Amino acid sequence: MPRARRPAVRAGVWGAVFALAVVALLLNVPVLARAAPATGPASIRPAAASPYNVTWNGVDVSTAGSSSSAISIDFSQTANLLFNWNVAGVSISDARLQMYYFGFAVSTRDQVVNNPVPCAVASCSIPLSWTPLSVNYVLEGVYRLTASFIAPNGTTMFSENFYVRGNAPYGFVALIPIILLLIAVYEVYALVRSGRYAALGRKSTPPPPAAPPTSPPATETPSSTEVPAEEPAPPGGPNP
Amino acid sequence: MSATTHGAACGVVLGIVLVIFLQQVAYLDLSDLVPALEYLIVGALVGGVIGGLLGMALGHSYLARHQVDAATKSK
Repeated sequence: MPRARRPAVRAGVWGAVFALAVVALLLNVPVLARAAPATGPASIRPAAASPYNVTWNGVDVSTAGSSSSAISIDFSQTANLLFNWNVAGVSISDARLQMYYFGFAVSTRDQVVNNPVPCAVASCSIPLSWTPLSVNYVLEGVYRLTASFIAPNGTTMFSENFYVRGNAPYGFVALIPIILLLIAVYEVYALVRSGRYAALGRKSTPPPPAAPPTSPPATETPSSTEVPAEEPAPPGGPNP
Repeated sequence: MSATTHGAACGVVLGIVLVIFLQQVAYLDLSDLVPALEYLIVGALVGGVIGGLLGMALGHSYLARHQVDAATKSK
């Protein structure tokens, strides 16, 4: 490397380090978000104060209001949810469960009640069973779910966010982790070999591509007045 | 493609992969769009810078070693 390039390289290194420090200081580091989900944890609200309540296999979902306290579930097992409410005179026609990923609902399960009647007793409930078999080999990880009570006129009477940690069957044999691990291994391999690639590329720099041969247009016809390119040499040989 | 560019590209991919992998092992929550995009962008930026630095260092070390070998052979 020429010595004149070294200051420029050092300046580039320090510039990259400075940019990295600025990015790390200005933006949120994801580790801090582990115990602080974007949506407010529902467990802050006292469970007894709310007339609406959802249980997941007998566990109150308000206790899983953050990703760090997510309910550990098996995606191959059926989850039995119970939507309870004890508001007299309120009728619920739809109990809805939605799973979110990147802000989009990747799975929705509805339990629709035909001809809903207002709740006249102390507590009413709608059971809902959910088996996410279609995603069990893919979606291992922590996900936010929303349980909603929907009135007959379409109004959402109550909704609660909670988190589940889904485990794929056979433990770690889910599709996305395997693909991610393969990509990571390949990228590390490519990164280690990048120096060698660069050196080989500098050693065997290919010549600039030759200009493509210019062929005469196909429509051009040879004219009879063209002069031949070479004339026959005189019998006496070429002149000195 | 230079070693720095190659390392930066690998680092960007690895940063994104790491963020998704942390979600898979239940360390990050990517349920909402905005923080998920922030995590991915931060991961790509940090990974790109670190990968670029690593690639540049690897390229320089290999070239320095190669030049030493060539000088030794010419003697």
